[in-house]
Amino acid sequence: MIRRMCVLVVVVSTAAWALAPARLPAEAQGPRTVTVGLYADAISLDPEDTNDNLSLSVEREIYDGLLGFDSNMKAIPQLATSWEASPDAKVFTFHLRPGVKFQDGSPLDAEAVKLNFDRARDAAHKLKKYNLYEMIQSVDALNPTTVRFMLKQPFGAMLFNFAHPSSRIISPATIKQGEDAIARHPVGSGPFRFVSWTPGQEIVLERNPNFWQSGEPKVDRIVIRFITEDSSRVALLLSGEAQFIFSVPGVQVEAVSRASGVEVPKRWSIYSYGVAMNTQHAPLNILQVRQALNYAVDKDALIRAVLGGHGRPLEAPMAPGVAGYAGAVQRGGWPHDIVKAKQLLSEAGFPNGFRTVLWIGNQTESVRTGEFLQQQLAQVGVTVQVVPTEAGTLTALRYKPLRENQGQLNYTGWSPSTGDADWALRPNFAGESWPPVLFNIAFYKNPKVDALLADALATADQHKRTSDYAQADELIWNDAPWIWMQNAEILSAQRTNIKGIYALGDGTVDLRNAELTGR
Amino acid sequence: MLRYIGRRLWQMIPILFGVSLGTFIFNQFLPGDPARLSAGPDATLEQVQAMRTRLGLDQPWPVRYVFFVRGALVGDFGRSYRTREPVGPVIAQYIRPTLNLSLASTALAVVFGMAVGILQAVRRNSMGDYASTVGSVLGVSTPSFFLGLVLIYIFAVDLHWFPTGGTTAGLRSLVLPAVTLGVGAAAAIARFTRSSLLEVLGEDFVRTARAKGVREPWVLTRHSLRNALIPVLTLIGLQFGFVLSGAIVVETVFAFPGLGWLLIQSISFRDYPVLTAEILLFAIEFLLINLAVDLLYAALDPRVSYA
Repeated sequence: MIRRMCVLVVVVSTAAWALAPARLPAEAQGPRTVTVGLYADAISLDPEDTNDNLSLSVEREIYDGLLGFDSNMKAIPQLATSWEASPDAKVFTFHLRPGVKFQDGSPLDAEAVKLNFDRARDAAHKLKKYNLYEMIQSVDALNPTTVRFMLKQPFGAMLFNFAHPSSRIISPATIKQGEDAIARHPVGSGPFRFVSWTPGQEIVLERNPNFWQSGEPKVDRIVIRFITEDSSRVALLLSGEAQFIFSVPGVQVEAVSRASGVEVPKRWSIYSYGVAMNTQHAPLNILQVRQALNYAVDKDALIRAVLGGHGRPLEAPMAPGVAGYAGAVQRGGWPHDIVKAKQLLSEAGFPNGFRTVLWIGNQTESVRTGEFLQQQLAQVGVTVQVVPTEAGTLTALRYKPLRENQGQLNYTGWSPSTGDADWALRPNFAGESWPPVLFNIAFYKNPKVDALLADALATADQHKRTSDYAQADELIWNDAPWIWMQNAEILSAQRTNIKGIYALGDGTVDLRNAELTGR
Repeated sequence: MLRYIGRRLWQMIPILFGVSLGTFIFNQFLPGDPARLSAGPDATLEQVQAMRTRLGLDQPWPVRYVFFVRGALVGDFGRSYRTREPVGPVIAQYIRPTLNLSLASTALAVVFGMAVGILQAVRRNSMGDYASTVGSVLGVSTPSFFLGLVLIYIFAVDLHWFPTGGTTAGLRSLVLPAVTLGVGAAAAIARFTRSSLLEVLGEDFVRTARAKGVREPWVLTRHSLRNALIPVLTLIGLQFGFVLSGAIVVETVFAFPGLGWLLIQSISFRDYPVLTAEILLFAIEFLLINLAVDLLYAALDPRVSYA
């Protein structure tokens, strides 16, 4: 009898568990709901403690900054209507838009801005984006709509730090509740307010009725779903469950754009890709060898064969979309010239090439790129062992200091999170940025480049900065610490009944101006 | 019986200690630096060091293990490196979807698998038997990744019967992932049931039962199936345990926020606290399922007794 009872209990509870919905079905959808599918879950919604693009994308909808980015990553006014920078790039004064309120009803004034930046620049909080604010000496609320920043030393790229998607203004009441509240129950002044977050599944936002920009936002509700598997994300768009997805792998673009009612906008990223060559490791320490490898690789063929045509050769050490881009150093990219490559290798004493190792990520596209490079370099006698490696492991190997670093060739990509030339060059090519400090995994050092980068930082004069970067670009390019490869397109897909949603060049998404255009 | 269960539960404690210690040591040998991963590629060395302190990684691992054990004994498993949330509630959020999926797919597999297996045994060497054998070989060998995508494109993209993924559509959300997971298991259960039942049907006691005039359905259920079920039960228990410890591929394909998805996230972020807690949870699940299976043996086979 007891046995039967046990069996019965098991059966009944099994059925109950199986049949009970995990949660209530999706709430009645608002009249204007936009659903987007993104490639990962957010990590935190505390902007100053965020360095992943997905969290930044969600934060962009909830919060405002003093400055923001437009769809082409040009800095535009947001909470600040105007600003002045001192010529020595040490004092920045912002005039705030009057009458702006946070989503909790409290006023967004100079005191609120001061509280935010005082928190962000306080090393004791150990926030992830502390490096964007550590140069701030003091923040003063001169009057309710004027706030002044004094820096410890000149920092010419500072306006880009204010426009950075991490520099968002949080409600003081939320800041006082502590870090968990900011991370999980964010309150800002942006077009959408936070409703709910189901980890691993979705974040729901709704229209902020008191948003300062009249007539905006144009939709009532935004549902951001997280789908890590590429093909499943594409299915979400094709089934009509989502109106926009990011990202789309290059190899799927053709199939996606053939579907009716779907389009794939063509937009350039600010990512630059290449093979960092360890300039302290023989024979890669020889300039001719590094130049030879640059001549050996056919970038156009790579773009066609591996990237489905969604790229263009790099013409400078940074992508053209980066603010402060000083133009092409070499039109059309580093030429493909096998004869020249062999000649340079002979001059360097390697007429028969040499053996080397290429570290690369383990995603399909990276592995194919690795195989492509292997074939290309084999044509000039360089035998490459391709080592596809899991991302976390690869990061650990790459950030080892020089004497422990086994890296020779490293296929890598970089996008400056500030969108500015300083952060495109300094982490990768400044002598002070050798691992483990930063990402100069080519262990490249040129004192002239270092001086130019420092000089550009010491001024707020954009012309002077551009001229410095033009000279630095040329030096770095010709020193060839990287095999200069490509600037990739940023690939998203959307249904034709939507507009105003963008994947920005830095890999974040902007939904602030989302608009449904009929069914 | 209760004393037996109590003893088995007691025996779990040293096992769990061993598992947690093993996981801690394993984490040490896992290449990758959680502080660098958390701080990001463009963080300076200073920031990485600040992150190391913030995560508590500046302590040597034996010290961290002692802290972990002290916390775990009162239900505090620390905070996730990735999201900074307390680990207990994080895991709790992801258990429910995985549990639903495990129960649904196992129920599906048991019902279909056993039905097919029994029919195959009874109609041995018929066309149906051969067809089912081909079907179950196909079922076992179809990769769930592929099957999942095929089901998504047919039933979600083209027919709109079910959502492409997630759990927001209630029971409808469960159908495609449960079928994807259930097919392989059903095929395995069918093959096991068939062979096990065939073996029992050839035993002397079955012949005796038939000889004394017991009706065939009774012979099949009361006499044969009951004995044939014991190995099948082991398989079901194992299968259930595997799904319950996160069906990584299926959860990823269906954007299903369960333990498998969480496991992938915690491995790629080197989120040791969540990883350790998950592995402990899986160990507990398997221990409990084994116990349940052992108890069911006793229920099915009067010769087995734990008194």
